[in-house]
Amino acid sequence: MTKNRLYRILSRIVDIKPGEELISISLFSYFFLITTPFYIIKPLRIASFLDKLGANQLYLPYLLTAALMGFVVAFHSKLQVKISKHLLIISSLTFFTLTCFLFWLIFPYNWSWLPLAFWIWANILIIVLITQFWILLNEIFNPREAKRLIGFLGSGGILGGIVGAEVAGLLAKTKLSGYLLLFASGLLIACAFVVNYIFILERKKHSVTDEKDKGRWQELPKGGFKVCFDVVRKSNYLRLKAGAVSIMVIVSLLIDWQFNKVIEEKAVSQNSMTSFFGHFFAGMLFFSFFLQLFLTSSLIKRLGIRLSLMLLPLVLLLFSLGFAVSANIFLAVLIKGSDKGLSYSFNQSVHKLLYIPVSPEIKHKAETFIDMFLYRFAKGIGAVILFLFISIHLKFQYVSLAAVGFILAWIFLNQKISDEYVSTVKQKLKRKWGRADRMVAEKLDVDYTKLVFDTLESKNRSSVLYAMHLFDLIKQDKLTPEVKKIISYKSDEMRISSLGTLFEENETTLIPKTDDYLSEEVLKKEIKEILSLDVYQEVMSNHVEKVLRDKNREAETAKMEVAKAIGLMDSTSPLVQKLDELLHDESPEVRRYAVESAAKLKKREHVRALIQNLSNPLTRDDARAALEKYGQEIVGTLGDYLKNPKMDIGLRKAVASVLARIGTQEAADSLTHRLSEKRGDMDTELIDALDRIRSEKPDVQFPEKIVMTKIAREIKKCYQILIETHDSKLKSKKDEMSKGLPKNLKVSLMNIFKLLGLIYPYEDIMKAYQNAETGTKDSLAYAVELLDNTLKKNMKNIILPIIEDLSLEERVKRCKRILKTFPEG
Amino acid sequence: MIISAREKNDVIIFDIEGEIRRSETTNISLHQLVKDQLDDGTRHLLLNFQKVEFIDSFGVGEILASYISTHNLGGKLKIAKMSKKLYLVFQVTMLTKVLDIFDDEETALKSFFKD
Repeated sequence: MTKNRLYRILSRIVDIKPGEELISISLFSYFFLITTPFYIIKPLRIASFLDKLGANQLYLPYLLTAALMGFVVAFHSKLQVKISKHLLIISSLTFFTLTCFLFWLIFPYNWSWLPLAFWIWANILIIVLITQFWILLNEIFNPREAKRLIGFLGSGGILGGIVGAEVAGLLAKTKLSGYLLLFASGLLIACAFVVNYIFILERKKHSVTDEKDKGRWQELPKGGFKVCFDVVRKSNYLRLKAGAVSIMVIVSLLIDWQFNKVIEEKAVSQNSMTSFFGHFFAGMLFFSFFLQLFLTSSLIKRLGIRLSLMLLPLVLLLFSLGFAVSANIFLAVLIKGSDKGLSYSFNQSVHKLLYIPVSPEIKHKAETFIDMFLYRFAKGIGAVILFLFISIHLKFQYVSLAAVGFILAWIFLNQKISDEYVSTVKQKLKRKWGRADRMVAEKLDVDYTKLVFDTLESKNRSSVLYAMHLFDLIKQDKLTPEVKKIISYKSDEMRISSLGTLFEENETTLIPKTDDYLSEEVLKKEIKEILSLDVYQEVMSNHVEKVLRDKNREAETAKMEVAKAIGLMDSTSPLVQKLDELLHDESPEVRRYAVESAAKLKKREHVRALIQNLSNPLTRDDARAALEKYGQEIVGTLGDYLKNPKMDIGLRKAVASVLARIGTQEAADSLTHRLSEKRGDMDTELIDALDRIRSEKPDVQFPEKIVMTKIAREIKKCYQILIETHDSKLKSKKDEMSKGLPKNLKVSLMNIFKLLGLIYPYEDIMKAYQNAETGTKDSLAYAVELLDNTLKKNMKNIILPIIEDLSLEERVKRCKRILKTFPEG
Repeated sequence: MIISAREKNDVIIFDIEGEIRRSETTNISLHQLVKDQLDDGTRHLLLNFQKVEFIDSFGVGEILASYISTHNLGGKLKIAKMSKKLYLVFQVTMLTKVLDIFDDEETALKSFFKD
């Protein structure tokens, strides 16, 4: 059968992707070939034990299995460290095949100890082989793949159970009954071949050699029971999981007793009881199989981890309460059927998924400890509890109420587990980058940096400007020896001198030789006094008038000096009125100095001129910095510009970034309300501005309704881009898609995540975005898993089809389906 | 100021010649050129400062704005072949704390794919 045909067949029953068909079928067969022999062995085990030793002796295999499992776990962990997983699984299968064959040979001798040994051996077989199956499955698939396929793969095990039980039932009545164990041995050999094929497939996929594979296991610390136990003990997540599993086992044991008790009381004969159990278990396994194959994956996807974990305990809680009120056969069947039916299928899959975000080395040890040892140990504890209940003659309904108590504790632990699961997924994802504007602001004093460059630049242009820059540096206590050294050089020297000559002793200096005893404080005070003198203002007024009237190009430097000087004056100085004219000067150099002075004076009358300077790229950065210094008081004015569609778009975009820098609640509101505009020509800048506020001011709130509406619109835009790309006959577009996402889709996607970050936990959303955008296939899967557990249901339903690892065809198919019911507006 | 672009090892290199200053900027600024590259999907940018003689505060703003735009998109912007004296000014003003500056182009190119 060709891969395509196999894919077409499988894709009808399971959410499979091209390339996954062989590995999925192989794993399905692997599980099938473990459970089929076990369910052939199981009836033989019970029958031989009851026949030779009787039901009263059943405590013996339970206790001995629990005790022996400790040694088995220790031995298995040591083997994990020493040999490759390929060799480990094949060796285990070979061991159980040979021992099964040995039991077949010695069974006719009817030794009295044989049923006990056979019971314990069979228990060890199923625990070891199933644990190895889940370990391998978790290694092969990432969380998203596992979620999709777990229903199908798990159903292989249940189908094996049905087939094995039926084979045992049918053959037991014929002359072939003596060959049951031989048949089971044959199935275990077939299983070894399937496992071998799985490793061949995996090797092809990853080009991993046996030696490399062995190396991976050898990297693990020396194993053993204690190491496995310590791994669980040290992890809060695994401790919770171990607790939940223990309680689940105890509850199951109490339910089992209640069920048997009711059946025992109602049954009229041993044959009728046998018949009932036969029909019941067949029906239960069929229910499990159906649930596992057709519903488990979609249910887990629909409910998410949190609700999936709650399903079984809630169902059992409901029936146990009913059982406490009225213990009848109908409820007994319902409660036992739901317990085992859901445990074998849905609940098992959910619990296996919980291991996926755990690192492989920890996972192996935890899985070994919980599934191989703790399960049996909890059963022992449950048996002791039950024994106590029976010995104090506890009434039937009180046992049900005790079960209710255990179920409530189980629900509590499951709630904790789902919280820990999300945080474990989060830990898998690293934030790849943060907002650089924030980082630059933290590491750098941009105003000081620019001042040093301005000081250097002004040396050649004007000694007045230079002196004023020096004075600025002194005022800010920034005229450090290093700065003095740099600016001490003539600019020509600065441009040609090497670093070596820069530090020579007898350098030429342009710094005025000042008296060392003249303190900077005195200097500041004296200059301030001079600037505020009436006579100075009068003389300067004439000079300023003259300079402003001069239309020659040479006047530019003089205007720059005036613009800079005004910034040193008091805001009440009459000369400050001249600043507005300088803010409108045709020279960007003059305007830039005027902008800087306006920022120092912070007078309301200059705001409009400053905003006008945002439209010119040569003064935009300085105007933006100046307006930011005004802060909250100009948010209203900026908002007016922002919402005026007649204004230059470049200016409005710059206004958005000023509001982002101011970053108050009002600034955020002003920006958010513009998101409602349908024009969309400023979307990217508005959303980026809001993102900046969100990253710097976590306390600022954003109106959810507006943001959600905008997200929905952006998602719709993404869908349309995808559909257009897909439907287009233009080859160039398809080529673009095959290389990666189209440009406009990338921008739209970035906007969606920034918007999501406004209303959901910012760090989580950014982690998800960055890993989905630039990460590996696995990090994309974890990113989707994080979103799946973070976003509200209606939101994730419309976002995940854009993010998930899907083919373009599948993506477009889903988009088209969602668009049919997409909310308008 | 003249800026020309070339590509090497998946990195766009801007060779800048002259002075990065307000008065030297006419049609298109360095930041605009960087933004255009980012819009085209480029995420690795290198500014070759071998022929940069001087920069003013506007130039500093242009470099920082280019750096911020690139890094906000998960990209990297680095500088190579800066003169020693300009590097000294960058050191004193602590720009070297933010910007990755390399002596030669090859080392700078390799550094894009190291971390």
